[in-house]
Amino acid sequence: MPPDANATFAPGDRVRIVDLGKPGHVRTPMYVRDKVGIIDRYCGRFENPEERAYGRIGRTRIPLYRVRLRQRDLWPDYAGAESDTLVLEIYDHWLRPA
Amino acid sequence: MAERLITDIGGLPAGEVPRQEAPPLFWQKHMLALFNVLWSKGVINLDEYRRTMEEMAPDAYNKSTFYGRRLDGMISLLVEKGLIDRADLAARTDAILRKGTRDHAA
Amino acid sequence: MSADHSDHDHHHDHDHAHQHASGGKHPPHPIREDDDVELTPGEAKFLALKGLLIEKGLLTADEIRRRHEINDRGTPHQGARMVAKAWLDPAFKARMLHDGKAAARELGIEVTEADLMVIENTPQRHNLIVCTLCSCYPRSLLGEPPAWYVSKAYRSRAVREPRQVLREFGLAVPETVEVQVHDSNADLRYIVLPLRPAGTEGMSEEALAALVSRDCLVGAALPGKPASA
Repeated sequence: MPPDANATFAPGDRVRIVDLGKPGHVRTPMYVRDKVGIIDRYCGRFENPEERAYGRIGRTRIPLYRVRLRQRDLWPDYAGAESDTLVLEIYDHWLRPA
Repeated sequence: MAERLITDIGGLPAGEVPRQEAPPLFWQKHMLALFNVLWSKGVINLDEYRRTMEEMAPDAYNKSTFYGRRLDGMISLLVEKGLIDRADLAARTDAILRKGTRDHAA
Repeated sequence: MSADHSDHDHHHDHDHAHQHASGGKHPPHPIREDDDVELTPGEAKFLALKGLLIEKGLLTADEIRRRHEINDRGTPHQGARMVAKAWLDPAFKARMLHDGKAAARELGIEVTEADLMVIENTPQRHNLIVCTLCSCYPRSLLGEPPAWYVSKAYRSRAVREPRQVLREFGLAVPETVEVQVHDSNADLRYIVLPLRPAGTEGMSEEALAALVSRDCLVGAALPGKPASA
């Protein structure tokens, strides 16, 4: 899916998944916070679960991306192959250029 | 830094993956269907549902089963929305347990 | 907000196929597998909740029953059919990798999650699916996930030590092959397109589908070998 004019990042961009320190319902797991990866794909725009979880539905949709990270960057003791990776979906406001 | 959600367990230490098959019982599938119907009617949404399970006390979460927390999460959410009363639900539950049979008429 | 059914479905990790009944009437009281099982507090609580909600007019028993039947349409065999067709038809495979939902629809399978992404295993890369935060799984396609997939041990360890977890499943991935783990933490749902096993030339689509187990579609197993003649 081609990125639209309002998508901040494009495939191949280096990004940092920041820790927003936001309490309550979020879908950014701790294990990827403050880690650097590459945008794998732009997934489109979706309603923000951080809003929906509190009954605030029908709000503006936000960009969602698949971000690819190296396992050796996630775990100091990673025992698998150097080439091993992990991909997950991160909403736009959790990402900064890296 | 915010506290880790109880459901946010990626990367935490754990033991062997349990491999015993446990296909859902009829009532468990019926519960999932009930959730689907409530959602399709706009009574609750999936994100709220996940949130109520995240709000369980850590001790309760650790002891919970997959379907147990789905049931308790749904109840908490419906109570939160003022749609059901916990005391009423408890009384009905006790009555059903005392009777010991399922409602086959519904 | 209007009760727009399709809009709700797009964020659903419990939603299931909206297919018509395959034919044949249902008896008035469907047989319940656990009728011989003693009533547990959990089930009693559920029955109490159901009765309470019906009494309050929030839903009907019939609506629950109909939805239960729709949910039962999801089975691993539907995923296996997609894989088998992809193995035999490169154009279908390309369409499937581009848009999993549309490809499923070609086979008469209605996937109701927001998106279905099919991830291809290659000789260079083996894929593994997990949902660390809860239990996201393409239920409208495959039905309920296995107990191991929703276990805390799998959710914790699949992202951190996937090769050890795969070894527990009897699958040793060579160091020269990359293991890519997909944490299904938001709106997309995933299945793995396994590599077609050797020695399956000339097999029918149906026979190929029979080689693809539920666990293959998550990346925890490899497709079976055909039985030797």
